[in-house]
Amino acid sequence: MALNRERLMQVLDRAHSGPICEPFKWDTEVIPQTIAAALKKYDLVKTCDPDNPVNQDDDLADRFFQAGFDVAVEVGMLCLDTQRVIKFSREEIQHGLDAAPAEFTLGEGKQKVTFRHRGLEDPFPPVWVAPLSIAVTEDLFIPVVEGIVRESVVDCLEGPSLQTIWGSKLRAGSPYELLAGKLQADLNYEAIRRAGREGIGMYAVGTAPTHYGVLGGYGIPGGYKPERDIVLLLTPVEMKTSYEVLHKLCQTYNCGGITYGGSWSMIGGYAGGPEGAAVSCIACTLLLYTAYQASNGASFPYDMKYMGNCGRKAQWALGVVFQALSRNTHICANSVLNQTAGPATKMLLYESAVGMMNLAVSGATSCTGPRTAGGKFTNYITPLETRFAGEVFKACAGMSRAKANDIANRLLPLYEADLGKAPKGKSFPECYDVERLKPTEEWQRIYDEVKDEVIKAGIPLN
Amino acid sequence: MVQGDVLERLREAIVGDSSLEDVEEAARAVVESGIDINDAIHAATEAIRSVGDCFEAGDIYLPELMIAGRKMERCMSVLRPHIKAAGSSVQGGRIVIGTVSGDIHDIGKNLVATMMAVRGFDIMDLGVNVPPLKFVHAAKDAGADIIALSSLMTTSLPYQQEVIDVLKETGLRDRFYVIVGGGPVTPEFAESIGADGWAENAAAAARLCEMLMTSGEKPPLAKTVVP
Repeated sequence: MALNRERLMQVLDRAHSGPICEPFKWDTEVIPQTIAAALKKYDLVKTCDPDNPVNQDDDLADRFFQAGFDVAVEVGMLCLDTQRVIKFSREEIQHGLDAAPAEFTLGEGKQKVTFRHRGLEDPFPPVWVAPLSIAVTEDLFIPVVEGIVRESVVDCLEGPSLQTIWGSKLRAGSPYELLAGKLQADLNYEAIRRAGREGIGMYAVGTAPTHYGVLGGYGIPGGYKPERDIVLLLTPVEMKTSYEVLHKLCQTYNCGGITYGGSWSMIGGYAGGPEGAAVSCIACTLLLYTAYQASNGASFPYDMKYMGNCGRKAQWALGVVFQALSRNTHICANSVLNQTAGPATKMLLYESAVGMMNLAVSGATSCTGPRTAGGKFTNYITPLETRFAGEVFKACAGMSRAKANDIANRLLPLYEADLGKAPKGKSFPECYDVERLKPTEEWQRIYDEVKDEVIKAGIPLN
Repeated sequence: MVQGDVLERLREAIVGDSSLEDVEEAARAVVESGIDINDAIHAATEAIRSVGDCFEAGDIYLPELMIAGRKMERCMSVLRPHIKAAGSSVQGGRIVIGTVSGDIHDIGKNLVATMMAVRGFDIMDLGVNVPPLKFVHAAKDAGADIIALSSLMTTSLPYQQEVIDVLKETGLRDRFYVIVGGGPVTPEFAESIGADGWAENAAAAARLCEMLMTSGEKPPLAKTVVP
C-alpha cells in the first residue's frame, strides 16, 4: 500500500508551521504534565502490578488506550529541526489508524510472510523478525546472518549492523553510511543465498541510524526492494521527529514502499513510571501510524534502571501497551524485546521466554529481536538465542494470559535479581563454530537445559 | 534575614516548586547578605544532591531532575562570580557536554548533564549531533576543564575518537580531560581511544568528574579512570 501524498505533505507542512516549542520545555513540561493529567483522568495512577507481570484486566488496557489517545491529540510530535509541533486532530489520528493495514505481507516467493493483526490470546502465529541491529565485525557479518536465517522460525531479517565498511570506520551521517546501506544489502543477499532463503523480507536499513543508509541502500538497483521490504523509521523519544526520519519517509514515498514506525519510552524517563511509559508508548504508536503511515511497528517501554524490558514493571507495561493496541485498533503492532544478558547464558534465554510469551498472548503481530547483551558488545549475537526466542514466540500463540502470568511468575525469579548486573556471556566466535555454524557443546547444553525448564514451567516447546 | 534563613530560602528554591527567577533571587539574597559563598554553595549542593538521591531511588523521574539541574545552574551562575572574590576553595569545574556527530539521542546525555549540575559543575550543553571541531572550539572558548562525549550508536563511536584526535592535532589535548559514555561505549573502548575517563551511568559520570578535578593530574591520563 503506497503512502498517501496528501498525508505526507500535511506532516511536512505542519513541521514548518506548527506551534514552536523548545525541546527542554517539551521534555520537562509538555510530556510529563500531559501524561500525568491523562493518568489521573482515567484513574491509572499506581496501577502497575508487578506481582502480575502479564496484565489480565481488559478494562485497564482500554483505559490506558483512551489515555494514550488523549495524549496523542494533546501533544502531537515535536520536529527537532524546526522546533515546531506537528499536531493532529482526534479525527486525523483515528483516520490514520483506520487507514493502516490489518494485514500485509513482506518477502516474496516461498519466503512471503503474512503479518496480521492479532487479538489477545490469538492462536494465529506471530511474525519473528531477527536480529536487532547489534554491531558485528565485517568478517563475521555473513556467517552471523547466514546462521540466523538458517533458523526456520526467523520470518524476516533486520540486523545485524556493520561497524566498518571495507575496513574503514563507519561514521553515522557521513558518506560512509551511504555506502553502508548498499553494502549491508549486498552482504545480506549473500548470506541469504547461502542459507537458501532468497526472497526473505527485510527491514531497511538496520545499520543506518540516519537517512543516508536508506538513501544509499533502499530502492536502488541491487538494494533493498520496496515491493518486498519495509523501511525503518525510528523516532526519537518522547514523540519527537526529525529531518532524518522525515527524509526516510519521503524516500519511502518516492519508491512506493511501506514504513515501520518505531520508538520507545523509558520507565524513569520523561514519561515517569511504568504507567506513564505505557501511556506514552500508546500515544506515540498512534502518532507513528498517523504521521508515518506505518504498516508495522509501535513504541515499547523499557526500564532505565537496567536498560532492558524483561523485568516485572517493564513486562507489565509492555503487556498493557500491546493489549491496549490489540483491543482498540486493527494495526499490526510490533515490539522489540531488550534482553540484557549475553550469549551462552541461561539468563538470556529466561529473559526471552518471559518477554516473547507476554508479547504472544498480548496481541503483538510481530517482534524484533533479540537484543542480546543489550546490544552493547560487538559480535555478541548468535543464531541459537534467536531460535529460542522465535520458538517461544510462536509456541505461546493461543495461550491464555492467566497461564502466561503464572509461567512468568515462575521464570522471573530465576533472573530478575541480576537485571542490573547481567552476565556478558560469550561472543559469536567464542560460542559458535563459525565455519559450520553450529553452537559449541556448552551453548547447546545451556539451550537444551533451559528449554526443558521452560517446558516444565508450561511453555509448550515440545 | 539571618544566615540560616537565607540559606534555607536558597535550598527551598532549588528543591521546591519554584521558578528559575525565584532561584536567582534567592541566590542574589545570599550574595547581598555577605554570607561565605562556600557555605551557600554547600547548602545548594546539599539540596540538589537530595534531588539526585530521590531520582536514583526512583522517587522522582527525569523531568523533575532536569528542572532541578537547571535551577542549580541558575544558582551557580549567580554565585560563581563571587567565588574568587571570596577566596573560595570550592571544587567543581566547567564541563562541555554533547552527543557526538550523527547521533540525535539526548536522554542519556541530558541525564548525565543534569547529574553533573547536581554535583555543582558548570555545564555547557552543546546538544546532539555535535561535530568534533565544535566540541574543541566550545571547550577552548569556555575555558572548560572536561569534555564529555555521549553516544548511543556504534556508528557514532568513531566521532568520540575524532574529538581526541582533533585535540591532539591542535595541540590542546593537555588542556581538557575527555570522558566518554553511552550505550555501546565500554571501558575497553574508552581506553583504546585514550579517553581520560568512562562511567557506567550518570551518577558515576558525575563522580568521575569529581575524581578527575581533584586528582591533581594533568590530562591526558596514562590510564582511563573508571569510578
